Amino acid sequence: MELKEVLFSLAEAYGASGSESPAAELACGLLREYCPDARIVSGNVIGTFGTKREGLPHLVLDAHIDQIGFVVTSITDEGFVKFEQLGGIDRRLIAAQPVIIHGKRDISGVICSVPPHLSGGNEVVKYDDTAIDTGMTHDELAEIVSAGDSVTFDVKCRSLLGERVTGGALDDRSGVAAILYALELIQGRELAYNVTVIFSCQEEVGERGAKIGAYQLDPDIAIAVDVSFALAMGEDERKCGKLGEGAMMGVSPSLSREVTDALISAAKSADIPYQLEVMNSGTGTDADRYSVNRSGCKACTVSIPLRNMHTPVEVIDLDDVRSTAELLAAYITEG
Amino acid sequence: MKELLKELCLINGVSGDESAVREFIIDKVKDCCEYRVDPLGSLICFRRGRKSSEKKLMICAHMDEVGFIVTYINADGTLCFDEVGGVNTTVAIGRQVKVGKNGISGVVGSTAVHNLTKEQKEKAPEYDGMYIDIGAHDREEAMQYVSLGDCVYFDSEFTEFGVNIKSKAIDDRVGCAMMIRLIQEQPEYDTYFVFNVQEEIGLRGSGASAFSVAPDFAIVLEATTAADIDGVGGAKRVCCLGDGPVISFMDRRTIYDKELYALAMDTAKELSLCCQTKTKIAGGNDAGAIHISGSGVRTIAVSLPCRYLHSASCVIAERDLEPSYQLVKRLAERICEL
Repeated sequence: MELKEVLFSLAEAYGASGSESPAAELACGLLREYCPDARIVSGNVIGTFGTKREGLPHLVLDAHIDQIGFVVTSITDEGFVKFEQLGGIDRRLIAAQPVIIHGKRDISGVICSVPPHLSGGNEVVKYDDTAIDTGMTHDELAEIVSAGDSVTFDVKCRSLLGERVTGGALDDRSGVAAILYALELIQGRELAYNVTVIFSCQEEVGERGAKIGAYQLDPDIAIAVDVSFALAMGEDERKCGKLGEGAMMGVSPSLSREVTDALISAAKSADIPYQLEVMNSGTGTDADRYSVNRSGCKACTVSIPLRNMHTPVEVIDLDDVRSTAELLAAYITEG
Repeated sequence: MKELLKELCLINGVSGDESAVREFIIDKVKDCCEYRVDPLGSLICFRRGRKSSEKKLMICAHMDEVGFIVTYINADGTLCFDEVGGVNTTVAIGRQVKVGKNGISGVVGSTAVHNLTKEQKEKAPEYDGMYIDIGAHDREEAMQYVSLGDCVYFDSEFTEFGVNIKSKAIDDRVGCAMMIRLIQEQPEYDTYFVFNVQEEIGLRGSGASAFSVAPDFAIVLEATTAADIDGVGGAKRVCCLGDGPVISFMDRRTIYDKELYALAMDTAKELSLCCQTKTKIAGGNDAGAIHISGSGVRTIAVSLPCRYLHSASCVIAERDLEPSYQLVKRLAERICEL
């Protein structure tokens, strides 16, 4: 599997929360290589890896397939498209951003902004005061765009120096790519778990896909493969992982210390770099839904360090995706 | 002209580093005019017309675009940078950029939204609070690719959407595009065409080039602020996309020649073209330096209305291009016949 190629194709597919279809269908196709039964169920991509063996615990590997974006709320008489956010968007950076409105067909637009030549230009945009410029009239738009349609940043992935890359939906297509890569690594090997993979929808609006996915799959153990904060200028060193230094394993009262410890031991014995991410309660990831699913489940987080989270310029190190996959593979094969 | 505009917009030329734009333009016009490059880098072309006029006319536009400059390389391999020309931080944060002559890819990063206080979320960032990430692990690695003083450009595509066009640098490559066409199609009267440097950092190139050309009349071709967006009404819109070329009576740097203003308006009428004026005294352009150069130059500006000026997403209406060109062409003739 050519990791960068797969990651770029995933990150350039569209899938704002609630409108994940293009990204989910792409991910489902990729997953089918390893899980022939992969399918989309209520928005979640679900696939079973290998043949189920009696007596082994059921492990669910989760990454979310949705991305932050916007939702169309109305079209003005002049042909501007009003919108609000899907997920936690940094409004400081939306002015003059190119976007794609996913209507009956995709159309390009630009988020309106006021230039420095007019007073009051350098202000953080509020949704009530802005709109998307489409270069179309109200009537032309009405044929293509409806309230509820999703909008995403119009951004392509780029390679930076070395193994570092940037793109718009690396949160959490990096997690999806890491799981796919892990499956490739464990193909044909003896496993300690019955493994099911889920690429869940609507994480960015409150882990809603994982809530129903957890119920359907009823795992004994669940690992949410997501992204977390990487150290950069303006971030607190005490609260961040570092790019290129491996997956960040969650340690939290809400997570299973037993699973965290097993992940650490798997990393150590296979000489895989890792970092710890200590949290004091919830994790803000799909793990929060698995842990309290049905009568309870042992959950943990494995996060890929990422800069500029929830922006069109997220940055990761591909080596972290690789070591995350290696860690998952070591854990699944060693038990 | 749209194809020419696209080629021009995609060339990188931040103020002080306009050479790539200049070389492109020279290549387009060298066979049909005399030209020289002045000490600051402005390109001065003399195009013989079908006739000569006693009046010396100069038509000009600026080659430079807004962008950034690398000011420091941090220990972690990220770059500190500052604006070149007026770029709001809100249109710098969260963009892809290209750094230096080798076009190293980078992004403008800042603290993740999750880690901002409520107050910080509502406040535009400062340049000091942002950095450019090229993927380097440390200063030493970054220095192999980037030097202090390297220019930084928006990495943005030229896109047509609806009836509009979106690109970086439309300000003022649209003026350059019109001038290239005017030179190629041969004007009616002898004309100086000047492609200026350093407009965005204070109208610096145009003062020097106007001094050496010493024209009687000047027409400045520009892109000007249009704020005809949702939620902005009446005079605050300044000017509107699709309503034709903008002829200003005044901006922050110039009170335009009243006779030329009337002549431009009348020329639009003669050609049955839509045209408009600015409904707010906003912005400024090379006219500010030109009209007070030497013993004074009678000056007018013709601009294309442009939304989101000074961002990676300048937006103009395609249907404003041709009438603007036709107006300038005819106005030049009428000025020479004054």
